[in-house]
Amino acid sequence: MTEPTTTPDATPGATVTADVPLVRARGLVKRFPITRGVVLQRAIGHVHALAGVDFDIYAGKTLGVVGESGCGKSTAARIVARLLEPTEGTIEFEGRDITTLSRRQMVPLRRTVQVVFQDPYASLNPRQSVGQIIAAPLRVHGVEGDRRKKVQELMAQVGLNPEHFNRYPHEFSGGQRQRIGIARALALEPKLIICDEPVSALDVSIQAQVLNLLGDLQRERGLAYMFISHDLGVVRHVSHRISVMYLGSIVENADRDALYDNPRHPYTVALISAAPTGERGARTRRLLLAGDVPSPAAPPPGCTFHPRCPKARLVSGDPAEVPERCRTERPVLTDVGEGHQVACWYPIEKGDAEKMMEIQASEITLEGDPELGVAQTEGLTDAQPRPDDLVDGGTGL
Amino acid sequence: MSSPREGHKLLEVRDLRVHFPTEDGVVKAVDGSSFALDRGETLGVVGESGSGKSITFLTVMGLINRSSARISGSVLFEGEEIIDASAARLRDIRGKRIGMIFQDPMTSLHPMHRVGDQIAEVVLTHTGASKKEAARLAVESLAEVGMPSPETRARQYPHEFSGGMRQRAMIAMALVLKPSLLIADEPTTALDVTIQAQILELIDELKEKFNIGVVLVSHSLATIADVSQDVMVMYAGRPAELGARDQVFQDAQHPYTWGLLESVPRPDVRVERLIPIDGQPPSLITLPPGCAFSPRCRHVRPECTAAVPELRDRGSGHLDACIIEPDEKTRLREERLAALEAGA
Repeated sequence: MTEPTTTPDATPGATVTADVPLVRARGLVKRFPITRGVVLQRAIGHVHALAGVDFDIYAGKTLGVVGESGCGKSTAARIVARLLEPTEGTIEFEGRDITTLSRRQMVPLRRTVQVVFQDPYASLNPRQSVGQIIAAPLRVHGVEGDRRKKVQELMAQVGLNPEHFNRYPHEFSGGQRQRIGIARALALEPKLIICDEPVSALDVSIQAQVLNLLGDLQRERGLAYMFISHDLGVVRHVSHRISVMYLGSIVENADRDALYDNPRHPYTVALISAAPTGERGARTRRLLLAGDVPSPAAPPPGCTFHPRCPKARLVSGDPAEVPERCRTERPVLTDVGEGHQVACWYPIEKGDAEKMMEIQASEITLEGDPELGVAQTEGLTDAQPRPDDLVDGGTGL
Repeated sequence: MSSPREGHKLLEVRDLRVHFPTEDGVVKAVDGSSFALDRGETLGVVGESGSGKSITFLTVMGLINRSSARISGSVLFEGEEIIDASAARLRDIRGKRIGMIFQDPMTSLHPMHRVGDQIAEVVLTHTGASKKEAARLAVESLAEVGMPSPETRARQYPHEFSGGMRQRAMIAMALVLKPSLLIADEPTTALDVTIQAQILELIDELKEKFNIGVVLVSHSLATIADVSQDVMVMYAGRPAELGARDQVFQDAQHPYTWGLLESVPRPDVRVERLIPIDGQPPSLITLPPGCAFSPRCRHVRPECTAAVPELRDRGSGHLDACIIEPDEKTRLREERLAALEAGA
């Protein structure tokens, strides 16, 4: 899991030595205890939100993180922002380990990492004027000078009318509110902005305005973004490098175009295939995955994707059979050339995508009924969590 | 094609208007909407928030409170005028003849009742079936929507289901009495990408199997592209464009549709810079004069603001509400596509 990654514009095959990333995360693990009982909150199991992930974020570049709900993408973002503590692993910021810094030691660092949230309705205090909202970070960090002037400059930069600084959030539309959130994030001149689904709540015609604004700000200020999204079109548009996550692990890391043009992990193939493109209205054939994402409280053994994996069936030649290696050994991220990394025992080869479509999702069965998905309680016993991850072996969800 | 024409359609809506009087003025949520749908067809309805897409179909189902809204026009369902039907008649139609599914399956299911019981309740309400028979139909319906082990699932509660499974349960509930029309309002918006694909595929399969008409309401053109025969693009309470899928996607005629097609980042092609639609959707209380899209339209001309443009047929049932002549539009569209290519 600790293979060196290459920068988005590095020469093929070259690894990073001199170039220190802005953020370097190694072996991040986050487990949330599942507790039972009111007074003595006994842990009866854990949700494995992150199962050891590595990534680098470079100055002036965007790391896109895609995956479905529960894959750990937001947890990873929160750990980078130090809003959550990792259970294991380290985060380096500009080469300095910040994992163990105290709250007080973190204060100057907080200025350099800011967050833009998904819901522009919930993330702005309705009782504060826009001026107060945008000035809040300046106030908190005791930035001296003419705050009103600074706020108005920021408003102009994100395309809001600076005269509106006395207005309240409800007087603005969703797109404008997201601009307010971006202005607030910019107030302390950060080096990294974590964007957690920043356009998902916006109307289609407004999304493009906000995405263009984020692009302009990156070019003007050399900002780095960690961009979390479930929308593959949006991620392709904004990212230099992309990490695909599934059930707490990064399953594929690649430069933007390499990921879309030549995906190597079966999950990435399915994700891209499932995304609606609106390709001139043509009916495209999709690779449908069977079932749902399993519960992160009881991830399947071996490769966590194996119960749904069409490639594993292709390898075994039987829709009900998965190679033993996929069931028992967890694959690690391995370089497959040009900084493209994939965590799969049998990465996708040319022609696999078509062959996988031949396997109907409905035929995929394994060990009873994995299709029952997330909330199926009886099914949880099928999937064996590693014993050391559990307090007393329970899987109560 | 679903353009208004003679004959017995499954659903035919003519000049539907839904106005809500408020203290600030009249909100014209739907202001002249006409379209039709046959059995075995899917009509995809696309629009942004406030375009009137949801209100249109809530009105069709009789779910808009008539004391708070002024409703006019005509809604013919299986040849019967239902716009002024009694509450009892509408209750009978809903559930039995028209099935509905909504965006968030968690809030549409009662958290304290077993899923099977909730589906069986539809049967008990609308037919004289026995409890046992209703329970059997519920399990059958769950099996129909691809629910593994439907007997077990019927005895479980909604919180034991994943998002995709809940939406399947909603579809099972909507279709348990084999209605002729299914109205799906943003059925996949709350779901993950791979589950979205499963649900759309399922709706399409069931449409073929039971020969029902489907209305698929979405904010995303790409979502409906795959499974719709006809597409209606709505803007500010009116259809901006209406036609067969290929007509709308390959030969879009309305500048708003162009804007939608151009502004969405796509997973298969990347452009350096997106071309957004400028400005904001208008207030439905004070609509701009003439064409409601004109303040945001790059090709606006003085005539655009003179009168509200009518939906006009460009031939073969492809309608649009833009007054610019087709030849000129072809030229404008080519220019826009060239600009888009240059950015790619």
